[in-house]
Amino acid sequence: MKRKVKFDYARWIFVLPALVIVGALLIYPIFSSLYYSMTTKHLIRASYDFIGVDNYKAVLSDSNFYKAFFTSILWTVGSLFGQLFIGFTAALAINRVNMGKGVYRTLMIIPWAFPSIVIALSWKWILNGVSGFVPNLLVQLGICSELPQFLSDSGLVFLTLIFINVWFGAPMIMVNVLSALQTIPQEQYEAAQIDGASKVQQFWYITVPHIKIVVGLLVVLRTIWVFNNFDIIYLLTGGGPANATTTMPIYAYNMGWNTKLLGRSSAVTMLLLAFLLMICVVYFTIIGKWEKEDK
Amino acid sequence: MTTRRDKIGNVFCHIYLIILAVVAFFPLVWVLLCSVKTSGDLTANPTRILPKHFTLENFLHVINELGFAENIANSLLIAISTTCIAIVISSMAAYGIVRFFPKLGSIMSKVLVTTYMFPPILLAIPYSMVMAKAGLVNTRIGLVIVYLSFSVPYAVWMLVGFFKTVPIGIEEAARVDGANKLQTFVQIVLPLVMPGIVATAIYTFINAWNEFLYSLILINSTEKMTVSVALKSLQGAEILNWGDMMAASALVVVPSVVFFMFIQNKIAGGMTEGAVK
Amino acid sequence: MRRKLAILLAGTMIATTILAGCGSKDKGSASQEASNGTTEEESGKLEGDITFWHSFTQGPRLEVIQETADQFMKDNLDVKITIETFSWGDFYTKWTTGLASGNVPDMSTALPGHVVEMMDSEALVPVDDLIDDIGRDKFSEAALSEGEKDGACYSLPLYSHAQVMWYRKDLLEAAGLSVPTTWAEFAEAAKALTKDGVYGCSFPCGSNDLMGTRFLNFYVRRGGGSLLTDDLKADLTSDLAIEGINYWLDIYENCSPKDSVNYAVLDQANLFYQGKTAFDFNSGFQIGGVETNSPDLVDQIDCAPLPKINADDPDHGAETSNIPMVVWNNSEHQDICKAFIKKLYEKDTYIKFLDATPVGMLPSITGISDTPEYQKNETVQKFSNAVEVITDAMNKGTAIGYEHGPSVQAGFLTSQGIIESMFQDIITNGTDVEEAAKAAEDKLNELFLTVQ
Repeated sequence: MKRKVKFDYARWIFVLPALVIVGALLIYPIFSSLYYSMTTKHLIRASYDFIGVDNYKAVLSDSNFYKAFFTSILWTVGSLFGQLFIGFTAALAINRVNMGKGVYRTLMIIPWAFPSIVIALSWKWILNGVSGFVPNLLVQLGICSELPQFLSDSGLVFLTLIFINVWFGAPMIMVNVLSALQTIPQEQYEAAQIDGASKVQQFWYITVPHIKIVVGLLVVLRTIWVFNNFDIIYLLTGGGPANATTTMPIYAYNMGWNTKLLGRSSAVTMLLLAFLLMICVVYFTIIGKWEKEDK
Repeated sequence: MTTRRDKIGNVFCHIYLIILAVVAFFPLVWVLLCSVKTSGDLTANPTRILPKHFTLENFLHVINELGFAENIANSLLIAISTTCIAIVISSMAAYGIVRFFPKLGSIMSKVLVTTYMFPPILLAIPYSMVMAKAGLVNTRIGLVIVYLSFSVPYAVWMLVGFFKTVPIGIEEAARVDGANKLQTFVQIVLPLVMPGIVATAIYTFINAWNEFLYSLILINSTEKMTVSVALKSLQGAEILNWGDMMAASALVVVPSVVFFMFIQNKIAGGMTEGAVK
Repeated sequence: MRRKLAILLAGTMIATTILAGCGSKDKGSASQEASNGTTEEESGKLEGDITFWHSFTQGPRLEVIQETADQFMKDNLDVKITIETFSWGDFYTKWTTGLASGNVPDMSTALPGHVVEMMDSEALVPVDDLIDDIGRDKFSEAALSEGEKDGACYSLPLYSHAQVMWYRKDLLEAAGLSVPTTWAEFAEAAKALTKDGVYGCSFPCGSNDLMGTRFLNFYVRRGGGSLLTDDLKADLTSDLAIEGINYWLDIYENCSPKDSVNYAVLDQANLFYQGKTAFDFNSGFQIGGVETNSPDLVDQIDCAPLPKINADDPDHGAETSNIPMVVWNNSEHQDICKAFIKKLYEKDTYIKFLDATPVGMLPSITGISDTPEYQKNETVQKFSNAVEVITDAMNKGTAIGYEHGPSVQAGFLTSQGIIESMFQDIITNGTDVEEAAKAAEDKLNELFLTVQ
C-alpha cells in the first residue's frame, strides 16, 4: 500500500499524453460544433449570430433530412447484414474445409487492403456504363439487352453500393469470426457428438455462445463505421442520382460545403452523434449482459 | 468418420468459397490488367481480358510526370509516424488505465469508444481551424496530429483488453526486485502483450494509410499530398485517363495487398480479441 | 527490451522531426517585415513568398505557368512562388474550407461563378491598378464586368472561350445529313446517328458538376430567355425552360448513354474524344482532347454555332467563360501577385500559354490574335473556322446567369447541382417535369434567400 502512495504521480504520466490528445482534439471540436450548431455560422462569411435552436428546427422540418436518415439506416442495416452474412458463412466454410484454408483466406482478405479511393476508382471502372467490364459482359452473355447502369440507375445504384460495401467489409468479419471459431475447444464438439447432438444443435449450443461476444463487438464497431462512412458513397456516386444515395454524412457535407450553412450542418452532425450514442448504449447493454452470462 | 453428407457439404463449401474468392480477387486483377492496356485498348473492347498491346506507359506517366512516387512516400511517412506515436502513447495509456485506474478505467474506455463514433465530417471544420491557428495547415505533421486524435482512442480501447491479460503477480515480483513502474512496464509487461500491440499497430497504420477526407481538406501542396488525394485528383484531371488511374491504383493497392498477405495471421482476431479478454 | 523501446522512441522522434522539418512552411516572418516597410516600393524590389493556386493540373499549361514562375523568380531573386494545383472540383472545396480556416493562397485562378462568392465574402482585393497597368482598353468590358462590385474590379480574365456545337463531319456525311442549325434538326440528326456503338449526343447531368445547367441554359438562352428573372429569382418554369427540359430529356432518352445521368464535364467530353458521340457541346478544348485520344479523328471534327429554336431567330448569345485571375485579401504580398500576373500577360508569355491549348484558350486581351506569332500555331490555322465560330459566340454570350450582371444567384445556379438533381429526379424517378421544375425553382429561390 505504501508503495502505491509513493509512486502516485507516476501513474498520471502513463495516461497524460493520451488524455491530452483526446481532450484537445476531440473535446474541443465537439463543443465548438455544438456552439456553431446554435449560430448562423457560414462557411465563407465572417460574421454570424447566435440563434438558439433555430437550426435544429430547420433541419428537423426538412423532408430531405428524413430521407437521408432513412437512406442511412437502409445503408447501414443492408451493408451490415450482408457483411455479417457473407463474413460469417465464409468463416464457417473455411473452418470446415480441409484443403486450401490459407489460400481462400488470403484471396478473400484482399478487398480489405483497398483504400476507399481505390475501391471507388476500380468499381467505377468495372461498372462503367459505356466501357465497363461487367455491363458489357452481361450484354454479351445475353443476360441484359442493354448495358445495365449500376451506378446511375435509381433502382440499381443503392444495391450496387451495398454490394461494394459488403465486398469491402466482409473480409474483416470473416477473419475475426474465423479466429474466434478456432478458439472453440474441439473436445466440446466431440462430447456433443457422443451425446447425439445434431450439427444444428452443435452450432446453436456450442458455436454461437462462443463467438457471440466477438460478433456483437464487431457489429457495434461496424455499425458506427458504416453509419459514419463518407468516402465510399461520396467517391462513388456523390449521393446521386437524384439524392438516391444521400446518407446523413453526405447530407451534412452538402449542407456545410455546398450550401455553406455551416451552423445548420453542425446541427445535422450533432443529431447524428446523438443517434449513434443511443444505438451504442443499447448495444453495450446487450453485450454487457452476455458477458455477465458468460461469467 | 466422414460420411457422404459431409463430403457433399465439403464440395458445397468449396464452390461457395471459390465464388467468393473470385469476387474478392477480381477487382485487383482487373486493375492490374487495365493498368498495362493502351487507352484505345481500354475502350475498344471492354470485355477483352488480356491487353492487346502491353504497355508500361501508364506507369511511367504516373510516376514520372504526376510524381506519384512522392505521394506514396508521403502516405508511408504519415502512416508510419502516426502508428509509432499512437502506439507509444496508447500502450502507456492502456497500461495506466488497467493498472492504476481500474475503477476509472471502465468509464475511460467507454468514453474512448464514444470518441470513435464522432462523425469525421463533424470534426472537419473545427480541425482545420485549430490547424490553421497552430500554423499546421498544409503540413504533414498537422495531418499526423489529426490522425492521432482518432487512432489513439481506438488503439487504447483495443490495448486495454490485452493489458488486462497480464497477471499482476509477475509485475509484483519485478517490483520486489527493485524495478520501478517504467521498468516494469517496458521489461515485463510489453513483451507479454506484443501480439496485441502488433495487431493494434496494423489497424492504426491501415486507417492512416486509407484516410481521405482530412488529407483532402488539410493538404494543399501537390508534393505533400497523400495517395488518396492524389488519386482523387486524377479523376478531376484535364483528361480522363482510365489507364493512368488504374496504374496509380495498382501502385497503391499492390503493396497493400502484399503487406496484408504477410501480416494476415497477426491481424486475425486482433480487432476484438483484446476487447473480449 | 529496453533497447528496443528506446529505438522505437528514437524512431518516433526522428519521424516527428523530419515531419516538422519538411512540414512547417515558414511563411517568412522575415520577409513579412520587408513587405511592411515602404523601402521595397521605393526601390521597386519585390521580396517575399507567395502561393499560387491554379487548376491547370497537368500538361503544357502547367508547364508554361511553372516556367513563367521560374523566370520571374530568376528576375526577382527575393521572390519565391509556390504553385499548387487542384482540379476544378477540388478547388471549390479547397478555397471555401480555406477561407473558413484562414488558409487561402495569395493569388489564384477561379471560375466566374466563384468570383462573385469570393467578392461576397470580401476575400479579394481590387485589381484595377493591375488592369490599368496592362491596359484597360485591351480587355472586353463584358469580361471585366464579371468581377465588378461597387465600381471596382476584383478579377481579370486570363483567357476566354465559349460553348459551341461540335460534330463529326464523317458521320454526318455518311448519313447524308447537313450541319443542324435548329434544335429540331439537331435532335433529328442526333437520333439518326445513334447506332453502331455511337451515341448521337450525350446529355450529362451529374450533380457534382454544372453540365445539366449548361445544356438547359443553351436552349433557354438561344431562345432569348434566361434561367434568372430580372429581379434575380430562379426561373425554371417559364414555357421556354420547360420546353428546354423536355428537349434534353428527349435527347437523353433517345441518343445518350444512360450512364450520362452521372456525368461530369470530363466524362462527357471523353466520349467525344473517343469517337463515341457524334455531337457534343464544348469550347475549343475539344480539339486537344480528340488529338490526344483519337489522333485519326482530328480531321473529322468541326464546330458550328449552337442551334436555335427557329432558323430565322436572332442570334442570341449563350455561354461565354472568361477564366479569371484573382488576388486574395489575406495576401501579404499583393504587389508580387500583381507583378507576376502582369508578367503572364506579356505578349510572348501569353502566346506561349495560349499555345498550350490552341483554340481551347482564346486571348482575353486585344492585340494578340492578329500577331504572326499567334497565327503561326498549326492548330489555330487548321481550325480557323472554329476560332471564328467560337470568337463570335464569345462576343455575344455571358457566363451562365450573368445576362443580368454578375450575381451570387447566378453562381448558385451552377454550383449547387440543383438543376442537375432535377434532371436526375425526372429521369430516375419519373417525376412530372413541371412538378420537378417547380420544386427545383423553389429550392433555388430558398437558397437565394441566404444571400443578403
